[in-house]
Amino acid sequence: MTDQTLFEKYGGFSKISRVVLAFYDTMLDSEEIGPFFDEVDMSKMVDHQTKFIASLLGGPASYTDNQLRQLHSHLAIQDSHFDELKVILGGTLEKHGFQPGDVEAVLQEFENRRNLVVG
Amino acid sequence: MSIEAINEQLLRAIGVGVALLDRKTFSFQFHNDTFEEWFGRPESAASLTDVFTELDIDALSSALKQNGRYTAETRFKKKRRTMVIAVDFTPTTEGEQDIAVLVCQNITRIRELESMIDSYSMMVERNNREIKREKEQVEKLLLNIMPRSVYEEFKTFGVVTPQLYDPVSVLMLDFVGFTDMVASADPSVTVTELNDIYSAFDRIGEQFGCERIKTIGDAYITVAGLPDPTPDHAKAAANAAIRFIRYLERRNTSHPNQWRCRIGLATGAVVGSVVGIQKYVYDIFGPAVNLASRLQEYSEPMQISVQDEMAVVLREQFEMDNLGARSIRGFGDQDVWRLHDSNKILTAAKS
Repeated sequence: MTDQTLFEKYGGFSKISRVVLAFYDTMLDSEEIGPFFDEVDMSKMVDHQTKFIASLLGGPASYTDNQLRQLHSHLAIQDSHFDELKVILGGTLEKHGFQPGDVEAVLQEFENRRNLVVG
Repeated sequence: MSIEAINEQLLRAIGVGVALLDRKTFSFQFHNDTFEEWFGRPESAASLTDVFTELDIDALSSALKQNGRYTAETRFKKKRRTMVIAVDFTPTTEGEQDIAVLVCQNITRIRELESMIDSYSMMVERNNREIKREKEQVEKLLLNIMPRSVYEEFKTFGVVTPQLYDPVSVLMLDFVGFTDMVASADPSVTVTELNDIYSAFDRIGEQFGCERIKTIGDAYITVAGLPDPTPDHAKAAANAAIRFIRYLERRNTSHPNQWRCRIGLATGAVVGSVVGIQKYVYDIFGPAVNLASRLQEYSEPMQISVQDEMAVVLREQFEMDNLGARSIRGFGDQDVWRLHDSNKILTAAKS
């Protein structure tokens, strides 16, 4: 059979939903990243975070490189923003019991997309 | 501490926003800490609409009179986070004064969760649609290599029990000089043409109730009477055979590559089954298959050879010639018959 995704390994949607909400909270409070979402509708924002986490963990969402580039093209995202989000992401996963190796793997996946959103 | 004091302390600190309003003027009489945290401290003479600008006061008044209750939902941003508060009004009296009790519950988390479930279920539903499409593709592929009834059995039990079909009629077709054609012409052109011809054969066979079993290179095998038995299996195979040849003749008039075939027809029993585990194919076995294959070798190009037993059935409806007894490997001496296209005989007679 196919390899288990991290999404499945850490309990599927019922568990990952907590990661998404924690991530959402931390992100809104962040002075670096938060302002990007000042004008974003709540349901859109939650939708965005759900898909973001799901796609990084191998859940039911996936974005092509082109989609990611287009979705972020109107935002002035700097390397510092990307770094901050990486810290938030890593911290959130650790708090929810992700093993260090898995956190590392997710952050690497995230890092691989830096060039698509920063610029 | 008195009970009243405890009550007031509780009311102030509770995580639900509470306010009391005069029901005539809708001015604030009391509010607790949570209310103040969410909506700010109402000015001394402030009325309800100063705090909740979008609230419909008329609807509120009439609902309180008629139903004794009014509920609504209000949203505001608290530092970029959208807060969703459910507000609930109920009437009461304090001495002479008509009071409205306002209870505010923070349902932000519920709305956020609902949004997340929406988002997630939409992703899952989209994936399910994709999976369904893929499943249909797989099913279509499997139906290309086995009859539907066999596929259903395969799907349900994971295996297929070999099944005896008796009687059926087997049509075996082979092209004349195919090896030379592949060697002399562009092989990809030859294979493309072969694909066209097989597709046409499939359509013709389908019209007459023949199930194509397989092709091996330039050999094409189709069967009538399988998987559903039909009394007309011999006629069906004969009709298909005649149309195969008609199709090739017409095609040859407009194509540089000339395709000529030999056909053998035989009636008998066959066993059908899925063979193999990883690379499975549906195949048929039995004397009728072997006999049709041998008889095909007795055909001249573009002619159809028929087994004696089958010819007896066909003779009433088709033009047949007896070619006499032939020694057939594995089957001894048997009469072999030639099946003619009665349309062609008619046309020849007319001219």
